[in-house]
Amino acid sequence: MTLKTRSRRARGWSLLTDYGIIWATLLVFLLLFLTADNFLTPANLRNILDQQAFFLIAGSAVTLTLIGGNFDISLSACFINATIATALTMNATGSWQLALLAGIAISSLFGAVNGAIVAWARINSFIATLATSFVFYGVAFLMSNRSIVRVTEIDFSNIARGRIWGITKATWIAAAVVAVFWILLSRTRFGRHVYATGGNPEAAHLAGIRVKIVTLLTFVLTGAATGLAGALSASRTLVGQPHDDFTFVFSVLTAVIVGGTSIAGGEGAVWRTLFGAFFIALVINGFNLLQIDPIIQRLIQGGVIVLAVAADNWTRSRRM
Amino acid sequence: MDEAGGSLSVPHIEVRGVSKRFGGAVALQAVDTAVQAGTVHALVGENGAGKSTLGKIMAGALTPDEGQVEVYGRPAELRSPRQALEMGITMVAQELSLVPHRSARDNVFLGMESVRGPLVDEARDRARVARLVEEYGIEVDPDQLVGRMSVADQQKVEILRSLARDAQLIVMDEPTARLSSAEARGLRGMVRQLADGGVTVVYVSHFLEEVLAIADRVTIMRDGEVVRTSPAADETRSSLIEGIVGRKLEAVFPTRRPPPSEARPVLEVRGLGREGAFSEVDFTIREGEIVTLAGLVGSGRSETARAIFGADRATAGRMTLDGAPYAPRSPRDAIRAGVAMVPESRSAQGLLGRMTVRANTTLAHLSLFALPGGFLRSRPETEAAQEATSTVRLTGATIDSVITELSGGNQQKTLFGRWLVSRPRLFIADEPTRGVDVGAKRGIYDLLAGLAAAGMAVLIVSSELEEVLGLSHRVLVMSDGRLAGEVAGADATETSVMELAFGGAPA
Repeated sequence: MTLKTRSRRARGWSLLTDYGIIWATLLVFLLLFLTADNFLTPANLRNILDQQAFFLIAGSAVTLTLIGGNFDISLSACFINATIATALTMNATGSWQLALLAGIAISSLFGAVNGAIVAWARINSFIATLATSFVFYGVAFLMSNRSIVRVTEIDFSNIARGRIWGITKATWIAAAVVAVFWILLSRTRFGRHVYATGGNPEAAHLAGIRVKIVTLLTFVLTGAATGLAGALSASRTLVGQPHDDFTFVFSVLTAVIVGGTSIAGGEGAVWRTLFGAFFIALVINGFNLLQIDPIIQRLIQGGVIVLAVAADNWTRSRRM
Repeated sequence: MDEAGGSLSVPHIEVRGVSKRFGGAVALQAVDTAVQAGTVHALVGENGAGKSTLGKIMAGALTPDEGQVEVYGRPAELRSPRQALEMGITMVAQELSLVPHRSARDNVFLGMESVRGPLVDEARDRARVARLVEEYGIEVDPDQLVGRMSVADQQKVEILRSLARDAQLIVMDEPTARLSSAEARGLRGMVRQLADGGVTVVYVSHFLEEVLAIADRVTIMRDGEVVRTSPAADETRSSLIEGIVGRKLEAVFPTRRPPPSEARPVLEVRGLGREGAFSEVDFTIREGEIVTLAGLVGSGRSETARAIFGADRATAGRMTLDGAPYAPRSPRDAIRAGVAMVPESRSAQGLLGRMTVRANTTLAHLSLFALPGGFLRSRPETEAAQEATSTVRLTGATIDSVITELSGGNQQKTLFGRWLVSRPRLFIADEPTRGVDVGAKRGIYDLLAGLAAAGMAVLIVSSELEEVLGLSHRVLVMSDGRLAGEVAGADATETSVMELAFGGAPA
């Protein structure tokens, strides 16, 4: 009796908190709709979608890594290696298929290195992937001979920039990747093993799950997806450029975490990353449309991340 | 120094009517006891009898829910270790609390370093520690890093730390549990020397010989209550054991049907060992048989069970399962061979806290519901989860409930259900009823009896004697990493099991 009334209220509460990122995204959407008149135009919306494509491809994969209980800081390094490998292969072979494959392959290999170090050498994933980042950045500079690689075949840009029903192919590919990882995580045995590994590795091990293999695979998949994102970026910009900044990975991780996937592992979802990415994209888009100073934008962006994680901690402690 | 127990002077520390609960479990129930100054006062009892809790209350590490503590006849507020320290009381806990990367000297004076201006006066601390070492005959190299020391030396550092803080009463919680016999002998000598030097020692231990050898007085505890306090000279090993276990079997157990005489052996274990944990373990379990591994915590019971399940690798011996060689390298191997294990710690080793009963139930057998490519078919999964949870009689929850919302008993039943999705040949349950209420206990007993009746071999690890005796066909008692003996039928009594379990006290 008391249990029932309590659970009804609890259900209402959890509807609010569990899906908080959806309400927040809808709220920003509504605010922009009401305040910025150039917001709800096909061009602006298409633009938002296209800009999010790379973040979503890498983000939906790294969601698995986080749920599996690990960080991957090396996404930026994997990403630029993929742009360079793709550009070089395109110039060398003239085959767009091989070019995409090269980008995906090198990044997957890096993912396997990360996964092996984390699973078998038992090095904290944050430190391990920070360290490998520097190695991978080095590889990028060596591979590109320290300079920008330009793709000579202009038509290669069609892979990312070509449009189907007015939407860029990069966006369609991102949608497909999100769908694949969404299903992988929520509907397959492997997905269940990822949750178990991140949620309670000891229990997972005692239930017969090969937690090391699962960990390795989450890193390989993240590497592969990031490689695809890098290859598409090479297509869109027709350059592969070595650099060593971490902007990409932090944008991706921000989307994942703001979406509500737990950094403690064991909890989260790909749809959360989808909404997390759009939430941030809408906020930034709004800033631009409303012409807010970029410096202020950064302040607000940082504050939003702290708020999102604090809210997550708070609801978590209530549930305990 | 007063002669053992003979004095009627004001006790050093006295507790009156002290009770302590942890959640619903009563750890101490209206306990009275008094410790005379300058004596070694032992607290003995089974696992969970309340002896450590009482020791911690005396040291301010726990605060009693009811009752009061008096130091030298005056009511004392011991709400934290710090307040206890102000009254000259310290504790050497089971888990030592030293800083491993600092030297013994630094640890001894941690937080009370001698200073000259803003700098630490090393020379002065060096002299202070030398004086302490000499005074109490505690030999330890003050410059060595604590992390590089043996457990025994680390304990010495802890004791020195207590003495450096002018402790007049030191509570030691199972100080010899992690020591070799030679080290334990050394420690006992040290404890005697402390008492002879006027320091009062409250000595929590389940090693009875040890207690008889060094204690002046002994308080026997059982189920959170004091059985009696008497001079150690008046006690013997068997009188202590009788006091520790002396109670009637109360819980109701399902009737035991002996396995048919033609029942085939399921698991045969020969010379099984794991370095540093247990060795030379031999036994056989037949179809339909319930066998218990009993013994004290740390006797190697759980380690043996884990090795059989492949959770830890055995380093010696061999096993067969249904006559075929069986050498699991991981739980995965064990599960494939038809072995199941409900682990010792439900939350740390069993449950996926944020997931549903369904996901927790089917976790180990997802391949049964997977299409090629790993897609899970939800209907068979749901049906299997429903069947397993109804076999274990999960009550008050559905398979869609989040597991942490369930009671301890239902969580445990879910973990049983996890293995009943398929039909294991050997079912291992480590502390199957820990933290489970009485009603659910009975349910779990019925379940274990039912599994055996259905032809499985059942291996239970348990600290609860009642359950060990009430449930199993045979009891294997482990002590100090070895099988100390086996009792069955009328020979299986609390006394006989405890005799064997205490058999391995360090000499």
